[in-house]
Amino acid sequence: MTSSQYPQWSYAAALASLPLLTHRRLRWLIDAGAPSDIWQQIRGGHRFLNGIDDAVWRAWSAVDDSLLVTVAERCIDKKIEVLMRSSPSYPASLIGDPEAPAVLFVRGNTDIFRHRRVGIIGTRAATARGKHFAHTLGAQLSTTGVAVVSGLARGIDVESHLGVLSARGETSVPPIAVVASGLDVVYPREHSRIWEEVATRGVLVSEAPPGMHPEPFRFPMRNRIIAALSEVLVVVESRSTGGSMSTVREAMKRDVAVMAVPGSPGLRQSEGTNDLLRDGCAPVTCVEDVLLALDLDHRHAQQWCDTREVLAPEELAFLQVVGRGPHSMEEIAVLTANNVVATAVFLGRLEAKGWVANTDGWWEALMA
Amino acid sequence: MFAAVTSSTLLATMGSLIVVEAHVGQGIPAFTVVGLPDEGCRESRDRVRAAMLSSDLAWPTKRVTINLAGSGERRGGAGLDLAIAVGLLVATGVLSQEAVEGKAFVAELGLDGSLRPTPGMAPLVSAVGDHEVVVAATAVGEASLARVPRLRPVHTLKQLVEVLRAEEAWPHVAVPEPQVVMDEIADMADVRGQEMARLSLEVAAAGFHHVLLMGPPGAGKSMLARRLPGLLPRLTDEQAFRVAMARSAAGMPMSAVVTSSAPYRAPHHTVSMIGMVGGGSSHLRPGELTLASDGVLFLDEMGEFAPTVLDALRQPLEEGVVRLSRANGSVTMPARCLLVAATNPCPCGVSSPLACTCTPIAKQRYLRRFSGPLLDRFDLRVELQRPSTTELTSKSKSECSAAIAERVQRVHEMCMARQGCVNSSLSADALEEVAPLEDDALNVLRVRLDEGRLTGRGYHRVRRVARTLADLHCSEGPIGSEWVHLALSMRATLQTGHGEMR
Repeated sequence: MTSSQYPQWSYAAALASLPLLTHRRLRWLIDAGAPSDIWQQIRGGHRFLNGIDDAVWRAWSAVDDSLLVTVAERCIDKKIEVLMRSSPSYPASLIGDPEAPAVLFVRGNTDIFRHRRVGIIGTRAATARGKHFAHTLGAQLSTTGVAVVSGLARGIDVESHLGVLSARGETSVPPIAVVASGLDVVYPREHSRIWEEVATRGVLVSEAPPGMHPEPFRFPMRNRIIAALSEVLVVVESRSTGGSMSTVREAMKRDVAVMAVPGSPGLRQSEGTNDLLRDGCAPVTCVEDVLLALDLDHRHAQQWCDTREVLAPEELAFLQVVGRGPHSMEEIAVLTANNVVATAVFLGRLEAKGWVANTDGWWEALMA
Repeated sequence: MFAAVTSSTLLATMGSLIVVEAHVGQGIPAFTVVGLPDEGCRESRDRVRAAMLSSDLAWPTKRVTINLAGSGERRGGAGLDLAIAVGLLVATGVLSQEAVEGKAFVAELGLDGSLRPTPGMAPLVSAVGDHEVVVAATAVGEASLARVPRLRPVHTLKQLVEVLRAEEAWPHVAVPEPQVVMDEIADMADVRGQEMARLSLEVAAAGFHHVLLMGPPGAGKSMLARRLPGLLPRLTDEQAFRVAMARSAAGMPMSAVVTSSAPYRAPHHTVSMIGMVGGGSSHLRPGELTLASDGVLFLDEMGEFAPTVLDALRQPLEEGVVRLSRANGSVTMPARCLLVAATNPCPCGVSSPLACTCTPIAKQRYLRRFSGPLLDRFDLRVELQRPSTTELTSKSKSECSAAIAERVQRVHEMCMARQGCVNSSLSADALEEVAPLEDDALNVLRVRLDEGRLTGRGYHRVRRVARTLADLHCSEGPIGSEWVHLALSMRATLQTGHGEMR
C-alpha cells in the first residue's frame, strides 16, 4: 500500500472521469479497493479486473495525473462534493440499488436526501396547463415537507422546481435536481439562474464529473437516478415514446410507485400518461393523491394557498366556459357569446392575473 | 452645323431635362456620343441611322458628335433617339433651329422610322412640361399622365419632319384627359371568421401600423393582406398621380386612367436587394418599396426572404424615403408604405392545438431569421388560427370593406387634426400628450415591464396601438385599460433566444 498524495475523493473523481467508462465498470473499479490504489494500478498498467476489454485498458493506462488534478481543481472551484457509497451523506435510497452510481457529484445541501421524496417528471414540450399543474404540485409538496426530485429539463421538470422554489414557507423543503451534464455545465443554458438557485437552496446531483457535456446517453442514466431517488414518481405529461417513459420503466424495475396525471384524450402530451393510467397506475389530480401514496397526513396540505388574485364572479364564469382545452380567441368569443374585442379584453385581464396562458395563439385556462 | 434640342432622361422616379447637342463637321465620317451616355444610348446610333434612311432622309457622311449636356449623372435611355435624330436634321440644315425652339422630343425610334414609347414616359414628359412635347402617338395615354399643356403626338419621323418644316399641320391624335377611377379590390366580407385578424388590419389601416401575421398555412394570411388596400383611405389625386409616375418610371404599362386605390405590392421572396429598395447600374430604377409607397407592401413567407433584403427595409420604413447613394450621385425615392408580413409560427407550421413538433430551440432559430430591429418595427403581431368549420360554412357575411374604410377615414382625419401625423409616427413625448394612460392601464403595462414580458420599445408601441384602438371606438381622453389589454393581445410575445423576448 502506497500512501496517497491527494485525498481519496479526488481519486474517486478522477476514476469517474476515465474514458470509455460505464457505471458498471466504475463500480467494479471502486469496489476493487481504495481509489488511490486503483488509480496507481491503472497508471501502472496493471490489468487487475476480468471482463474488461484490452482497448479499454489501453485507453485507461494512457491517462496521467493531470486528469486527477484538473478534476479535483474543478470540484474545489465549483464547490462540488464527491460522494462514494461509503460517504455518510450519500443518499440512503441509492445505496441498496443494484445500479447505484459508485461516485456521485453533488452541490448543495445533502441533508435534503433524508426527506420524503417525490419525483415529478414530464415532457419538455408541455402544455401551459401541464406546466401550471407541475408548478402547483411542486409548491404544494414542498410546503408539506416533501422533497421534489426532478431533472431540470425544459417544460415540466423545470416548472416543478420553480414551483418548489416559489414556496418560501418555514417548512418548505428545497428541491433535488438530478442532471445529466457535469455540475458546472448548465444545460439547457436558459436555466442558468434556477440551476444556481437549486445549488444554493436545494441540492444538485450528477453522475457525470465536472466539465462533461450532456451527451445523449447520459439522459437515460440520469433518469435511473431520478427513479431510484424517488419514493413516488409522478408523470405530469408525456408522449407515449417520451424520455419520461424511460424514467417510468426504471421506477417500475425498482418498485417505485408510478402515478400519472390524467389528460385530455387525443392530446399528444397526455398519450403517455393516459397509457399509464390504463395500465393501472394511480391517477394524480391533486396533491392529496400523492400524499396518500406516501402515507403522509394530507390534512396539512392546505398550507399552500393560491396567491393569484381572486376572480370576480363574471370572470370565473368566463374562465369556466373557456374550459381547459386550448381554444383560439375566435372560438372563445363564440363559446362565451361575446364579441372578439370583449373577449380579448377579458383574456388580457385574466392573463395578467395568471389564470389563463397563451401559447402561439392558443388559450388555456389554468385551474389547479 | 450645330444644333441643340431639348429632351429628358430618367433618374429613379423623376425625369430630368437635358439638352442634346449635335455637331456635324468636316473629318473622317464617324458618329460619337459623349456626355456620359449609357449602353442603351450608344445603340441609338444604329436606330437613328436606320430610321432616317427609312424616312428618306440623308445620313450625313461627315463627322458627327452628339453631346448629352446636363447634370453629372450617367444618362441615356432610348427616349433620346428622337432628340438625336432631330438634332442631326437641324445640324445638317434639313430643319431650322427656330423650328425646334420651345419643343422637347421624347420617343424611341423604330428602324422603320416610327416613333415608339419608352419606359417612364410620364416622368420624362413631366420634366420638360413647359415645352411643347413631341411624343409617340402610341404613348399618348401614358404621356398624358404628366398633365402638360402642349402634348404633340406624332406617328413617324417623316411626319414630324414635315410638321417642323411647316409643310403639314400637327396630326390629329386625341390626347386623353387623365382620369382617376376606383379600382375593384377584394372585399373583407369574403373573409370568414378571423375576427381578431380583421380587427388588427383595421387598426393597421387606421394608425398606419406595420403588421406581422403569424399563422399556419391556410389561415388566410395572404387573403387578409390582399384586402388591406381596400381599408386604406382613397388616394388623393396628387397621390394617385405620384403612384402612377413611379409605376411609369418602373416601366409598367400605363394608360391615361389611374387608380385611386392604395397600391398593393407582393414581391416574391426571391426578390433581390435592388428589386426591393431600387437602384441598378445604368439608370436607378424604383424598387418594390417605392412602388408600394402610399399603399401596402406584403411580404409572404417573410422567413424565406434574404436577411440582407429584410434588413434593408429598416431605414426606409423609419424615414418614409429610400436614399440611394452611388459614386456619381444620390437620389431619394418615396417609400412610405404599410408593411404587412406573413410567416408561419414555427418550422413545422402545424395548426391543430399543441400538436407542434418543433423544439423551443428550433422555434427560436426560426424566429432569429428576422433581425430584432426589424421585428421591433411591427406594432402589431397577430397570431392567426385556421378558421373553424362553422366559421367557414357560415352564411352570415362579415363586415364589408366600405364600412371599415369609413371608420379608418374618420380616424385618419381625426389624427391629422389632433397631431398632424398618423398614430404610428407619434413620438414618445407626443404620446404623453395625446395618449395619456389611465391608472389601471398604466398598471397593466407596468406589471408586464417588471416581469420582462414587455420591452421598453414594446411599451411605446403598445401605447400607440392602444391610441388607435381608442380612436376607432370613439373613446376620447386618457386610454382605458381595455384598449391596453386589446393592444397587448395584438402583440404576440416572440422568444428569439434564451430569455430574450421581443
